[in-house]
Amino acid sequence: MLSKDIEKAKSIIMNYDGPPIKIMEVCGTHTHEIFKLGIRNILPNNINLISGPGCPVCVTPTEFIDEAIYLALEKNITICTFGDLIRVPGTSSSLGDARSKGANIQMVYSPLDSVEYAINHPEQQVVFLSVGFETTTPASCIAVRNAKNIELKNFSILGANKTMYQAYLALKDAADAYIYPGHVCTMTGMSELYKLRDEENVSGAVTGFSASEILSSLAYIISETQKNKPFVANLYPRVVTEEGLIKAKTLVENTMESCDSIWRGLGIIEKSGMKLKKEYIDYDARAKYDIPKIVGKPNKGCKCGEVLRGDIKPFECPLFSKGCTPEHPIGACMVSNEGACSAYYKYGENLWKKN
Amino acid sequence: MEEKLVTLAHGAGGKQTAELIDSIFKSNFKSKNLTADDAAILNPPIGKMAFTTDGFIVSPFKFPGGNIGKLSICGTVNDLSCMGAKPMYLTVAFVIEEGFPLKDLEEIAQAMAKTADEAGVEIVAGDTKVAGKGQVDGVFITTTGVGQIMEGVDLSGAKAKDGDAIITTGDIGRHGCAILLSRDSYGLTADVKSDCAPLWNTIKSVLDTTKDIHVIRDATRGGVGTVLYEIAEQSQVGIHLDYAAIPVDDAVKGVCGMLGLDPLYLACEGTMVIFAPNDKAQAIVKTLNKGKYSKKAAIIGHVTNDMIAHVVVKTEIGTETLLPAPSGELLPRIC
Repeated sequence: MLSKDIEKAKSIIMNYDGPPIKIMEVCGTHTHEIFKLGIRNILPNNINLISGPGCPVCVTPTEFIDEAIYLALEKNITICTFGDLIRVPGTSSSLGDARSKGANIQMVYSPLDSVEYAINHPEQQVVFLSVGFETTTPASCIAVRNAKNIELKNFSILGANKTMYQAYLALKDAADAYIYPGHVCTMTGMSELYKLRDEENVSGAVTGFSASEILSSLAYIISETQKNKPFVANLYPRVVTEEGLIKAKTLVENTMESCDSIWRGLGIIEKSGMKLKKEYIDYDARAKYDIPKIVGKPNKGCKCGEVLRGDIKPFECPLFSKGCTPEHPIGACMVSNEGACSAYYKYGENLWKKN
Repeated sequence: MEEKLVTLAHGAGGKQTAELIDSIFKSNFKSKNLTADDAAILNPPIGKMAFTTDGFIVSPFKFPGGNIGKLSICGTVNDLSCMGAKPMYLTVAFVIEEGFPLKDLEEIAQAMAKTADEAGVEIVAGDTKVAGKGQVDGVFITTTGVGQIMEGVDLSGAKAKDGDAIITTGDIGRHGCAILLSRDSYGLTADVKSDCAPLWNTIKSVLDTTKDIHVIRDATRGGVGTVLYEIAEQSQVGIHLDYAAIPVDDAVKGVCGMLGLDPLYLACEGTMVIFAPNDKAQAIVKTLNKGKYSKKAAIIGHVTNDMIAHVVVKTEIGTETLLPAPSGELLPRIC
């Protein structure tokens, strides 16, 4: 027996027969859950669900991986990283390849684990690969502050932290409405989204990750879009507040400042990144190690950029499942569980296509 | 009192080796056929025989619900049982790391004897080697087994047919979850015991109910999901699962939810997957529900002629989606 909420939302979605609507789910976790719940298989043809750039691994540019490999192989530095990044291809190889050439690559679950590792291995220089959005940045800030407090000399971070607001702006014409990432909004609160609605006419709904939350947000967006007036709703109020997590926001503001940042597929987006402030410069690996300017060259056939912008579906990329698979990824979107290509591949989207 | 440890001398073949074998192995393995000679002399099985071998390197060697000794007997007993063979004889070979505590070895041997006894199988020959510190991790065990195939039984992973019901003999994923928790790498605690159990009596009760069964398979490494993909491929059929019908322990569900794992891909060591004609399925489940290790047995899905070589899942919202095929990111050294 399905709950009434789920039945009602399903019926709104399945019976929609108005003009075509493009909806972008920004967050990779939503992408994954939508597939896992089989939601795509009940969408009518006039609802086009596209997967956005909200997977930190997927938007990490080629040159970031190249920089990490340079540190690991040329400078003999220990790299601590979230597991997903190990398999992301750089220009000519991945961190996994570097490991097989003798580089010391440690997988960690939290930036704090890499501080712990540095404390326990004083003979090594340790660099944490700090990727992620508003949700993971505070933990990197705590790691750096902890390291500074104990004057740890063998720890620093290679930063690629990003903020979502500028990405929303860059993508504001990609879809009619957005399913906003529940976890990022938990941090930021709602004000950025009101600004997008009021200044840029961007519509969307914040939602959580359960079946009923995701279905309700789709049904809500479908109903509201028909009114032709920009809207924003917080459909995840049990977690997301108006003002966000002030303590975490203050921590980040006191530790990092905004900078330009490269997004795979989207290019440089002004002020969309975060880097350590001057007083923490000793913990910034780029300052500490004088890394040469690297220009990354992604595989020419790879269409991750178009996928991330929602211009094409993953199976429209010529490499999809032909050479690029989760076992042997060529593009970053095939690496992470949250990547759109990986989800399309694993859940056999092409098997279900009706035509 | 100082703890007694295994030394290289215990593996040298001399007096200490004999002492180790007598005090730990012979005192526990009490089969009349256990030999002091170079090979056991045995009566052969009647009719067809099943023959299998398996190595065990689980880390840690002790976990909630069992240890490497119990696991090494269950693994081979269950492999024989899956083919409809009554386990008759086992051989066991140990490679022990120098410095391994004798009391732990004793505990392992006791678990092996107890499990073999329960499964009705005799340990008839063995071997003990000691490797230098660091050359193995604790203790590795290999068991080899012979069984007698029950008359009228013909099982194979290639025999699943359109219309078959799919049954699991118990709740799934407990072994993989217990090992994961006992490694302590996630900072999680939960009350999860491995399902590690010898299943010959369970399988016999099923085969006594009906011989009209197509496939029985042990859902060990890779879990039930991997087994289903193997069978879908081998039999060239489609498999449809009802997610809500799959029995999963609440604690396992909680751990999986937190770590983003699917219990369908966690190993079982005391749970089998059975494919049988739909009209026999209720009787099989009814029999299983009375068994010691199969109280939670349930029908979890059925076989079709569409979606060949794929496993399709009915989700909690009544839609269908593909179960992602297994990939290489499973936990190492779980059995």
